[in-house]
Amino acid sequence: MANPKPRAIVLGSLALFVALFVLLTVQLSASASSPGASHRKSKAANVRAQPGAGPEPEAGTTDSVESEYVEPEYVEPEYVEPEYEEAPPVVTTSS
Amino acid sequence: MIEAIPHTVSTQGWWIVSRSSALVAFVLVTVSVFLGLTMASKPVRKPGFAKTMRTLHEQTALAALVAIAVHILAVLADPWLKPGVAGVAVPFVLSLDRFWNGIGVIAAYMAFLLGRSFYLRGRIGPRLWRQAHRATIGVYVLGLFHALGAGSDTESVLFLGWVAITAVPIAILFVYRMGTARRAEARRRTPAVGGASAKLRAKFE
Repeated sequence: MANPKPRAIVLGSLALFVALFVLLTVQLSASASSPGASHRKSKAANVRAQPGAGPEPEAGTTDSVESEYVEPEYVEPEYVEPEYEEAPPVVTTSS
Repeated sequence: MIEAIPHTVSTQGWWIVSRSSALVAFVLVTVSVFLGLTMASKPVRKPGFAKTMRTLHEQTALAALVAIAVHILAVLADPWLKPGVAGVAVPFVLSLDRFWNGIGVIAAYMAFLLGRSFYLRGRIGPRLWRQAHRATIGVYVLGLFHALGAGSDTESVLFLGWVAITAVPIAILFVYRMGTARRAEARRRTPAVGGASAKLRAKFE
């Protein structure tokens, strides 16, 4: 019986890793780009997709960072000249 | 969809690496445990069969250790999870799925210690090593429960199919192996009839 070479196991494992990486990346990209398919996302993907969501912090390890006040940017509304049509003069005749 | 790939890789790349390496590690641990149990049950007595099985068993186990190391490093680097060194090194410290991730940490320690013991069997003695090596099934069982409890791919048909196909033969082989090991132990303790008569003969001659 031929002795198996370690290279075959290493290459097989690497190929499986790359295939899984590509498959999972495509799966996550597809679910992210099509909002209609969100119900098909896995529980973990949904949890991760929530903005600012992270795992529960450990008790006593949370760093209280005071939120900085950010002045809302004021955008001056652009003045739009109202369009008007010049009306022809109305000629009135008096008897 | 294609335009979303770079964004997915940049934001969730470490998570994808950790999932992929975990699946590879689980497949390799399953194959290694299956080969180890098959080898020990000695189903085929062809010349060279045992050596081939031993080589495959060792290589898959080593590749599994590398995949487990990659999985741990990827989890450590995950910017969403932020487990910290304690989260991946100390069981039941990580707050997310505390129990299931805790048993995953224990499984990783068992895998590294039992894997290392193979190369120290000359020092610790073959009997102690053999007894310790039987605990390798614990790596598979704990790894399986860690994957089912904390894994992100428990809904995947491929993963569930792999578990369904491999778990039953491994369980059967393990029970069979335990039975043969117990019988061999009993045979070792009870002096053989032939051996006893030979001793008596030697005494009277």
